[in-house]
Amino acid sequence: MNMLSLVTFIPLAGALLVLALPKERVKAIQATALASAGASLALSIALIPLFNRGSADMQFVERLSWIPSMDIHYVLGVDGLSFPLLLLTTFISFIALIGSLGIKERVKEYFFWFLVLEVGMLGVFEALDLVLFYVFWELCLVPMYFLIGIWGGPRKEFAAIKFFLYTLAGSVFMLLAILAVYFNTAPHTFDMIALMKAHSAWSLKFQILVFLGFYLAFAIKIPAFPFHTWLPLAHVEAPTAVSVILAAVLLKMGLYGLLRVCYEMLPLGFHWFLPFLIAIAVINIVYGALCAMAQTDMKKMVAYSSVNHMGYCLLGVAGVSAIGFSGAVLQMINHGIITGSLFLLVGVIYDRAHTRDISAFGGLAARVPIYAGLMFLACFASLGLPGLAGFVSEFMCFLGGFAQWKIYTAISVLGVLATAAFFLRMMEKVFLGPLNNKWAGLSDMSARELCSIVPLTVLTIAFGVWPKLALAFINTTAVQMAGLFK
Amino acid sequence: MSNLHLLSPELALGGMALGLMVADLFVAAKHGRLLYHLGWLVSILALVMVGYTISNSAAGQGVGSLWAVDPMSQFFKMLILLTTVLCLLMGLEYKDLPPAHAGTFVCLLLFSAVGMMLLVSSVDLLLTFVALELISLTSFILAGFERRNHKSNEGSVKYFLFGAFSSAIMAYGISLFYGATGTTRLVGVGHDGGPMFLLGLLMILLGFCFKASIAPMHFWVPDAYEGAPTPVTAFLSLAPKIATLGAMVRLFTVLLPASAFNLTTLFVVLAAATMTVGNFTAFFQNNVKRLLAYSSIAQAGYILIGIASGNTIGTEGVLLYSFVYVAMNIGAFAVAQSVASRSDGAGAYDLEAFNGLARRSFGLALAMAFFLLSLSGIPPLAGFIGKFYIFSAAVQSGHMGLAVIAVINSVVSVYYYMRVVYHMFFKPAADETPLAVGPFLYGGLAIAMAGILAFGVYPEPLVASVQASAQYLP
Repeated sequence: MNMLSLVTFIPLAGALLVLALPKERVKAIQATALASAGASLALSIALIPLFNRGSADMQFVERLSWIPSMDIHYVLGVDGLSFPLLLLTTFISFIALIGSLGIKERVKEYFFWFLVLEVGMLGVFEALDLVLFYVFWELCLVPMYFLIGIWGGPRKEFAAIKFFLYTLAGSVFMLLAILAVYFNTAPHTFDMIALMKAHSAWSLKFQILVFLGFYLAFAIKIPAFPFHTWLPLAHVEAPTAVSVILAAVLLKMGLYGLLRVCYEMLPLGFHWFLPFLIAIAVINIVYGALCAMAQTDMKKMVAYSSVNHMGYCLLGVAGVSAIGFSGAVLQMINHGIITGSLFLLVGVIYDRAHTRDISAFGGLAARVPIYAGLMFLACFASLGLPGLAGFVSEFMCFLGGFAQWKIYTAISVLGVLATAAFFLRMMEKVFLGPLNNKWAGLSDMSARELCSIVPLTVLTIAFGVWPKLALAFINTTAVQMAGLFK
Repeated sequence: MSNLHLLSPELALGGMALGLMVADLFVAAKHGRLLYHLGWLVSILALVMVGYTISNSAAGQGVGSLWAVDPMSQFFKMLILLTTVLCLLMGLEYKDLPPAHAGTFVCLLLFSAVGMMLLVSSVDLLLTFVALELISLTSFILAGFERRNHKSNEGSVKYFLFGAFSSAIMAYGISLFYGATGTTRLVGVGHDGGPMFLLGLLMILLGFCFKASIAPMHFWVPDAYEGAPTPVTAFLSLAPKIATLGAMVRLFTVLLPASAFNLTTLFVVLAAATMTVGNFTAFFQNNVKRLLAYSSIAQAGYILIGIASGNTIGTEGVLLYSFVYVAMNIGAFAVAQSVASRSDGAGAYDLEAFNGLARRSFGLALAMAFFLLSLSGIPPLAGFIGKFYIFSAAVQSGHMGLAVIAVINSVVSVYYYMRVVYHMFFKPAADETPLAVGPFLYGGLAIAMAGILAFGVYPEPLVASVQASAQYLP
């Protein structure tokens, strides 16, 4: 059974079907999109019981000859690092599609690009051939360009092209790094599993150069300081559902690449870079939090909080230990869920009030209690309140980082403080205090909005109370990864 | 003359082109379209003949007195004929061509194709020169075929002056080459590598650079391309360029390898300069034809990387990229032509004319977006495979600097290609009526689209046939 291929390409079939439908038939288009993303989600969930949690090997591996003349093959497979991310992607894509049902303009194009984007994201997490990986990686660019550029906010065109050029500039160097790796392996291969065993033949200098090529692509995607400047713009201008995808899945592609390629294939390069990586992690945490604190736009604040949270992941990665890796992967999942719901919630208020200015509101808790409750929960989860998802993973990242980098980790804790500060400030200004009479007519959340957000909230609580739910998948792989180069 | 049969496709095509010229006298102007149909049918016939020589290598291939007919030359010949067919299909839907003289137009186009087919087979500088002149003279007339259009005349005259100049240089180079070696035949040249020989070689290279629009001999390109009738522009941006690059591959990687004379650096510089000049100038263009003209300069630069690398992958890369380039460039020009066909006079090819194309004809806009993305090398379109191959040639031969310049150029190129997409998808349309695309243009577009999608997703057949075609005689 080619389960992974099915999961990946059902959305593509949906996209082609959407393309074939006449653009007036909005309902049919929406149904097709939801059905294909839903089928993909259902299949990926069906894989859960089949996934062997005790093994760190690649599972569900598929191997087909694709371009044998160029040694390029179609190889898919997942392990404890990529499988949770795969689930996250199908899940968030489905949720975001529900959140997209409110799109009124050019519906057909929207769902077409959205489904193509999903194919690209899924493929990145599954591909085990570097060229295939690159193809999927780039496949995410064009749909995102259109999704931001057509359905975005006031500066959408600029945000779209900036996103496109920025990420492309990174990924072309990845392409060169891929070629360099290929020609320096005997026998020449693009197979990622084979390359993970080939690095002992590479010199330190070569590994550093190749590492930098890959790192540039991944750092831009994560985004790691100083390559984060595209992110606030793209997040703010993108339509709500696309911001969700950007934050919840696209950023994870960078971290996934960092672990899969930079760490597992280029250990010498990775170790050479570690002192820089930890510094970047701390800058991401502290600087991201401080920037978020300075924002008056709620969406921009959440965007910068992503920079901050990606810093925690980097901190966990820089710990180079089982707990650090587990924490980083769990933090990716949790950030996806929590920030996904934050963006959706900000979208809810923006749809009604047509502003996201924090100071424009006040006392909304009394007017829209369900909305306020969900928002409080998401914010608390994001700032790391024990009992909710964010706490567990952040704690693990700190634990992983602290073993190696005591001072850096201590500085990072300041970032947690700032994170708490900006979320609490936002909650206070928007929801507490006297009700701003301008918003007296505000309605609470609709059924469709609840449908898209409540599943995320449920997971936030579930992973907070019982993190083993997610960690069980990650653990074996994390232990194996930490033991790779001692 | 026992080896003349090797050139039977060329002879047949040339003969039939002359026949079309004569037929022009007897066909009334209102039936001029008939001659276009005959033209592309004749080209397909020649294509079949070339295909026959590929499948029967014993009878159809070999080394002649001035020519070598081998898998590599036949690959380029097929590409040239394919381009000719597609351009004639575009010509059928182009309204600004005078209905009279259809036979002349088709005849010139076919003669140009004959010249290119001879060029890629040539192993003697005499034939090279004659073939280049045959291409040039027909191209000058074709570029100026819209006699009442000032831009067309201007472009043609510039093209002519520049062409005459570079032909003279090339002829002088050939004379120096003859002086140094005592022969014009390129097979088994007994040279001393001395200054006169090298100077001759460089001057010959300059002549090639002119035809392939390689910097610093690219100045004629934008004006000639802008002024020429769009099907001719598409033709000029593809066929002569590919043929010349094919001839350059033969000359500078097979017969007289550039590395043997320490000319590799020169080719690296030429490739880098051509890409950079093309891409950075295309930035500022507001006319789609000019934009595509500069883009085609840049594309020639990418292909030149294959020659600069000088390895097998490089040669294969030139073939592969040329193939892909035909599909994506002709597609872009075909869409541009159909967009411009709705408005008259000045500004028909301005970026503004593309405003809101996605609302007017979504399929057409999507096709154009795919062609442009393919030109910029975004997977999973065929342009990516071409770039991938070319870049891997550069990496394998150790030209990391050139590879870095090339990928940076790719990023830069995305900006101006996306400007067209921006106008098509993000800007509102001035008039929302869908565009009517004629059946023949539609057919050409479909072929190009199928090419970049199919070979982008599953390139194996293309790669395998390119690897089989990168073999040469003697």
